[in-house]
Amino acid sequence: MLRPIPVVMRMLACLAAALALMPAPAAAQTSSLYSNLANPAIGMNALFSGTAARNLDRAYGLHFDEAEISLISVVDPYWTLVSNIVFTQGAVDPEEVWARSTNIPAIQLKLGKIRGTFGKQGLLHTHAFPFVESPIVMVNTIGEEGFKAAGAEAAWLTPLPWYAELTGGVYEPTGPDGDHPLDLGSTRHDNVPFLGHLKNQFDLDDATTLEVGESYLQGRGGDGVRRAALGADVTFRNVPPRNSNRGGWILMGEYIQKGSSAGGSFVREEDGGYASFQYRLSQVWWAGIRGEAARNSVADFMVDGAGAPLAGAVRRGAANIAWMPSEFSFVRLEYSHARANRGVHRDDDRVMVQMSYTIGYHPAHAY
Amino acid sequence: MKSSLKCVSLLLLGLLATSPARADLKVATSLTDLASVAQFVGGKHVTAQSLCRGFEDPHFVPAKPSLMKSIQNADVFVSVGLELDGGWLPLVLPGSRNPRIQPGAKGFVDASEGVTVLEKPIGTVSRAEGDIHPLGNPHYYLDPKALEVVAHHLADAFSNLDPANAADYAANAKAFDEKMDASLEKWQKQLAPYKGTSIVPYHRNFIYFAERFGLKLFTTVEPKPGIPPSPHHIADLADAMKKAGVTVVVYQPYYNADASHEVAKRAGGVAVEVASEVGGVPAATDVFTKFDSVVSTIAGALAGKAGSR
Ligand SMILES: [Zn+2]
Repeated sequence: MLRPIPVVMRMLACLAAALALMPAPAAAQTSSLYSNLANPAIGMNALFSGTAARNLDRAYGLHFDEAEISLISVVDPYWTLVSNIVFTQGAVDPEEVWARSTNIPAIQLKLGKIRGTFGKQGLLHTHAFPFVESPIVMVNTIGEEGFKAAGAEAAWLTPLPWYAELTGGVYEPTGPDGDHPLDLGSTRHDNVPFLGHLKNQFDLDDATTLEVGESYLQGRGGDGVRRAALGADVTFRNVPPRNSNRGGWILMGEYIQKGSSAGGSFVREEDGGYASFQYRLSQVWWAGIRGEAARNSVADFMVDGAGAPLAGAVRRGAANIAWMPSEFSFVRLEYSHARANRGVHRDDDRVMVQMSYTIGYHPAHAY
Repeated sequence: MKSSLKCVSLLLLGLLATSPARADLKVATSLTDLASVAQFVGGKHVTAQSLCRGFEDPHFVPAKPSLMKSIQNADVFVSVGLELDGGWLPLVLPGSRNPRIQPGAKGFVDASEGVTVLEKPIGTVSRAEGDIHPLGNPHYYLDPKALEVVAHHLADAFSNLDPANAADYAANAKAFDEKMDASLEKWQKQLAPYKGTSIVPYHRNFIYFAERFGLKLFTTVEPKPGIPPSPHHIADLADAMKKAGVTVVVYQPYYNADASHEVAKRAGGVAVEVASEVGGVPAATDVFTKFDSVVSTIAGALAGKAGSR
């Protein structure tokens, strides 16, 4: 084990010597023909995690989850382009690449590859998830990371006296696949999957807000059957104005249902929800708990003797604590316990650790 | 179903029709100080409101949708610039869906333009130094002279949007200069006995104030911008203050008062709460009374009159 090291050392020394002898590169590119002054804002987030779960046929150890590169810039006086390209082991996903117009009064227009405005959790980037694991209901209804599709959305900020935003969207037919459990994939020309979303936000007092959202997504599946998902979410959030960087809490709950109308009337298929409470203990410490339930759904530990996924009813509770020494990194530790009514493992316990690092431009997180 | 739809559309129409008669210009700002200057310069032609409240940390304003709503119909938005509001404005401005106040439009004003910026980083910018301000120190609103630059900038911007009242805006900006210069003379007299004396602010937001009034910043309670002080740092800082004879710690309502008082107590000095923004303490009702309160609080502490909490 020790023997190869001198060889490696010799090679490294040669390499170092070669590098030292190389001509120094031109210091700056300021005199280049190609100006870099209008470069987009560039940022990258890297996520790593480790999971210890007895029931999973997966080695313990630190995993590379993803690296997300975001490039954002104004295109011209009419458009801004936003992109998030996600690199995972062996794959690249242009998760979001969309143009935004803010030239139309009261309406924000988004078009391109977008994250459809469905629900609450579904709008978050992976590194902004409040818990390491996405809620079970997500992966069984609209997708672990929300509804991602190419299309166009218009979000109207209504003239009502409070923040009331009505969003309508149309998308290309998608699914079913790992990212899209909802089959909206009919290639019939009359299949234009569409979405409606209403978001209301109220200031309850100086520090506390209430947000209520409703979402609806519909289209036709590959079999020509009409399929839909509907969701509702409620969030109470507290940010004490004198301690906005040190205190506060978030109490939220969300319910999502997926179904189809094969026989003419709408039939519920998978559904579920979660409720969570996150509490900021200090500038650098956050703690959270979450309870979940889902029906007719699968979770990664719900398998039969041969390892094939089995759908059933499942409940899960999780608790975590996060250390966020700055806006740009966090380390968190999470424990969850789940119980299912089907499969060879009825109970599941796991401990997870996750690390997040952000460099460069850090796009502001939505409230 | 149909009748309820009708109801909703009637309600919406009603709301559109009854939107109140407008003041000449509705101005929104990211900071209370900018709203105060805007109100002075705009006079009766303007209503100015700030998104960040004076007792709220301007680095960390939650980008609430209700803030977006509150500027949906604004004619002017005045940003403090230098990325002080960079953590929330990129959400709030587009979220307002108000094309008149987006960067590049006539109604968007970067108030830092024309201000002499201090502490522009030279060489590389690295977050090893904490959450630094890469474009220079953005807390220029603690220099009375910098606010004069802002006043004239705003007068130009308002005149551009509302030429009919241009003469009023120019006259108000001039009056602002005169009032500020007279006040500055008074404040400088109050602090003259302490020229060259060091103080310890929580964050490096007092550099403009210190430069203007001849005070020195010893170091800060936070070890690096945005990084909370550890017990070890507090002990070291208190020792260093003792050795150097520095006795006054200055913090804002939104910073950690306990850490500031702990440092001061150990150093045998005092910690005082000072508003760096208008509205931070009840006495600071506009930019003039803000400096009245900042100057008298710091002068009082340096004279040994203020007691630790
Ligand atoms: Zn600062």
